[in-house]
Amino acid sequence: MRVTITEYLGLDLSEERWKCNRCGADLGSAQEPYKKGCLIRDRDPHDVHFPIGPNKGYNFAFDPEWVRIVEFYCPGCGTMLENEYLPPGHPLTWDIEVDLQQLKNKHLREDLS
Amino acid sequence: MGRLFDEKARLFEGLVYDGNAFGKGPAWDPSLLKEGPAPLTELEREGIDRLSDVDLELMRHKLTSIVEEARDVYMSLSISEGIITGDMNCSIFTASGDPAVVATGIYFHSLLNYTQVKYINKYYRNDHTVGLKDGDIYFFNDELGGGVHTFDMFVAMPIFYEGELIAWAEVGGHQGDSGSVSPGGFSPKATSRYEEGLHICQMRIGENDEIRRDIFEFMCGSVRNPFVFGSDLKARVATCIRIRQRFLREVERRGVATTVGGLRKILTSTEQMARDRLRELNDGVYRAVLFNDDVGREPGLTRIPTTVFKEGDEMTVLVQSVSPENFAGSMHSTWHLVRASLGVYLFSYFFRGLPPNAGLLEPLRVLVEGPSIANSSAEVAHGEGTSISACVAQNLHVVGSKILFDSPYREAVSSPHSRNLLLYIFAGENRRGYQTANFTGTANAAGQGARYDLDGESALGFYWGPFTDSGEVEDIDSRLPQLVLGRVVEKNNHGYGKTRGGAPLVEISTAFGDRGCMMTSRGSADKLSHNPGVFGGYWGPPNPRFVIRNTNVMQLMAEGDDLKFANQYELLTERPLEGEYLISSSSGETQKFDEGDIFVWSLGGGGGYGDVLERDPEEVLLDLQSGLITQEVADKVYGLVLDPETRETDAEGTEKRRGEMRAERLRAGKTFDEFTKYWSKQKPKEEILKYYGHWPEPRLEEYDKPFWGQYR
Repeated sequence: MRVTITEYLGLDLSEERWKCNRCGADLGSAQEPYKKGCLIRDRDPHDVHFPIGPNKGYNFAFDPEWVRIVEFYCPGCGTMLENEYLPPGHPLTWDIEVDLQQLKNKHLREDLS
Repeated sequence: MGRLFDEKARLFEGLVYDGNAFGKGPAWDPSLLKEGPAPLTELEREGIDRLSDVDLELMRHKLTSIVEEARDVYMSLSISEGIITGDMNCSIFTASGDPAVVATGIYFHSLLNYTQVKYINKYYRNDHTVGLKDGDIYFFNDELGGGVHTFDMFVAMPIFYEGELIAWAEVGGHQGDSGSVSPGGFSPKATSRYEEGLHICQMRIGENDEIRRDIFEFMCGSVRNPFVFGSDLKARVATCIRIRQRFLREVERRGVATTVGGLRKILTSTEQMARDRLRELNDGVYRAVLFNDDVGREPGLTRIPTTVFKEGDEMTVLVQSVSPENFAGSMHSTWHLVRASLGVYLFSYFFRGLPPNAGLLEPLRVLVEGPSIANSSAEVAHGEGTSISACVAQNLHVVGSKILFDSPYREAVSSPHSRNLLLYIFAGENRRGYQTANFTGTANAAGQGARYDLDGESALGFYWGPFTDSGEVEDIDSRLPQLVLGRVVEKNNHGYGKTRGGAPLVEISTAFGDRGCMMTSRGSADKLSHNPGVFGGYWGPPNPRFVIRNTNVMQLMAEGDDLKFANQYELLTERPLEGEYLISSSSGETQKFDEGDIFVWSLGGGGGYGDVLERDPEEVLLDLQSGLITQEVADKVYGLVLDPETRETDAEGTEKRRGEMRAERLRAGKTFDEFTKYWSKQKPKEEILKYYGHWPEPRLEEYDKPFWGQYR
């Protein structure tokens, strides 16, 4: 049984694995961060937020020495499932650890009702 | 605390979590700050037993209408910029001091103005040198007593009926100057609380409905804007008296036990509604992290992570491995400020539709590591503590969207409202001839975060208060020593996504008159941002301070030029004004500005929602045509292709271009192992990490895991 957890993340309750909501690609064990199943790229924030003005350090864009954009892509379809704006080298965020047992109980109840 | 918490959380030994990192002081008692609602009184119990559910709804409606009327009264009587535009609060508390009904522009005020009343009840009421009687007027503004910062000032008055204390009326808000080292209150360079002006935990300033003249003159003489301060203080007293009159009329109509019982039941029923909603949501552990780029005295990276344990009908918010306190500025929050700040998100989004009172926070346990920048000690400056507590609230918003998506409350899923704080505080003599020191309502027109089904609204409101307003320009001109030249919605200044964040209002003004004005700026998010996107949406960008010195704007106006420059993007790219263009950190010293010097000011745009390559091409074209984005953003970020002749969207060309962009992602993306091998070798420069603590986990040396927060 597949349930929708976020905009792009599905979860197969019987397999206990993350799935891409767009293409169905497998994103790894639901006991682990789905980010382990993604393709990951860190980008210069100026690729997205274009600086304006004469000042290198303050220009209405993120300072690449302070922040990088880390993008997480579905390996199947290339959809950007999530991103993080992190100082270079900062550990990633395990953002969602669902309680699988509670989730299974909840959906089992819904099925029975 | 719950199974998930027990399995996953670790609290570092020797630190304070559940309460403030400061102890009892001469007029404050942090143990009162973490107390929940007081036990039921006999009178409350008697009243609750008489109330049916229908009675309770009628009572809730009636009491809410009393405080909403009070809000209108207070805003009409006040001459302070913050109050006029809604940075304020009116409440009725139970006799024990628990806030039961609230009308506000700023939700967190509702949770930061009642501990002082509990202190009066506990320590002053039965003290023969103070006591408590009908007609007493109490004032408070000290953050250690349970407030925000000294610039937010409140008045509370007890409500007696037939000689018995039955409730409290409370009114207050952001009044402004407190006699601190910088005009207008905020002092980014302050390093101790003793540089932040008048601190009054709670003091009786009047009796029999009258403010004592000696105390009134002492207080007015302690600030730079005595006329505004005194006028606003009287407005608060007048509004409290109105609340008391209306409340006592209800007591006469319904009976004292019923009214008092209703007040109490409003609180307890709200808690039950919050618990019922929590039970519908997925259990789990959720995390988000934000960083700040300034400590006040200088730039410096600090870290504010948040872990949420959602279990059954409870949630634990854990703020752990935060950067240490630094004594290098006023960006230091308190535990009670973090807790109250969460109400801003919870009341507006997570628990939307439920009554906004302290009952909503009862299912929450808030654990904030201290001493740290998020839960700091007594001596540091706290004036900009909201810059830190807001990061926890933003983290909770991101987490909340992940909790709510798979629930009946998906309509509340969104990116957070813009919180990139930049305030310009103007000081000097206004056109009416009195001294003034405050910011304008422009702060109340930042961009909303993108929603799961809609774009964020542009120029929506203030981060802390959905009901605030940006004010009338002509009124602002008359009350402050500056002249507003224009207000426009900004370009390329929101988060891009499947749905986009709302853009901010930008105000362009100049110092007014021969004497000009002083201006202090405060804020952060100059090199990074506090406006996250969700589900792949890009973030709202930084917004540093931008002024232009020695321009020819006055000459242009004298010549009849209608100043067609539109926004800060065009000011910077087209340079329509002569002058010195200066972009710098938001944390500025107080400086003199003259007529013709230009201030450009906004509070930033909300983050985006979802992948930019899923945005409807027609919506991208609309953004382009309405000036919200440039052609470069449409091309390079959204992959929009236009027909070169008609300038309409080329659907086929756009799909092809977006396919190429997705293929580029697949080509450039690394596997998790490849990425972490490369990423773990990266690190910011040492000068950036001066105030951070241990890298990358401030509380742990040599942390080497690929994900943060894995302490076990």
